[in-house]
Amino acid sequence: MLRFIKITILTAGLFCLAVHPVLAKKTVLTDIKVIHASTGKNHVDPGLNSIISELESVFKYTSYRLLKDETLNLNFGQKGQVNLPGKRTLEVVPIKMENKRIRYQILIRKINRIIFKTQVLLKNNSSITIGGPKFKKGTLLFNISGSAH
Amino acid sequence: MKNSCGKYSSEEISRFVDNELPTQTYDAIQQHLSTCTECSAMVKNFSSLSDIFSHHAAARVAQMEKGTIAKHLHSTLQKKEKSTFGNHFEFLGKHMVLKVASLAIILMISLFAFQNTIFPPTGPSAIVKSVDTDFASVMIIETQKKKHTIIWFNET
Repeated sequence: MLRFIKITILTAGLFCLAVHPVLAKKTVLTDIKVIHASTGKNHVDPGLNSIISELESVFKYTSYRLLKDETLNLNFGQKGQVNLPGKRTLEVVPIKMENKRIRYQILIRKINRIIFKTQVLLKNNSSITIGGPKFKKGTLLFNISGSAH
Repeated sequence: MKNSCGKYSSEEISRFVDNELPTQTYDAIQQHLSTCTECSAMVKNFSSLSDIFSHHAAARVAQMEKGTIAKHLHSTLQKKEKSTFGNHFEFLGKHMVLKVASLAIILMISLFAFQNTIFPPTGPSAIVKSVDTDFASVMIIETQKKKHTIIWFNET
């Protein structure tokens, strides 16, 4: 009997630890896509296949070009930074896990001046798009996805 | 029916053999038998018949009782075994309750650990907790299909 319990608990414990590292999430893989959306010639970069249907359901742009795609492996509380066109920078900080979501602080600077700041609870393995800044007869969109490990 | 002696009927002789007569009649017949050869012969016949029946019946009853008891015991045991709770879960062996309890605990722990995977959070891809900007126009949009969250601000 005791042997049975020992084996069961040991197997379950090893399974949990080996297969599912959710119990000890330490880092957040943050992917930032910088997209130039415009009404130019129809074009969609292949790197945007996963989100293009969602963007096209909201925006009337005909061209979506992927200007930059950066993946940052960040610890909670660690700042990640990506340079954007037009002397802008995008800063992301995964703060903590909250209700199965990642709390992110996202900040956009333009020549060292904060022009946009937000805090969001991002669903794990999901993404958010922030848009608005004008750039070259179009608009910049920033798709930020997070995956906690 | 009376035998050729005519004093006692065959029924009375039969009852004498079976010891079913009142004492007085019994004694009278017994006394009569010492002088009547016909009635004595009838008593002998009835006695031998009675012996045969008695022996056969006893043997039969003994056999039947033995078989019936064994059968009854067997069926009772079977019923008892079937009605035993543990018998339905004999694959769990001994200490069945403890084993089931430990499996339940493991299942609960696993569900708790895996709830993020099994039951992912519902709702929009991102919940906007705060927005701070110099620009007046900010829109928060959620797409219909995948509930993808979009924050739009006018940088003018």
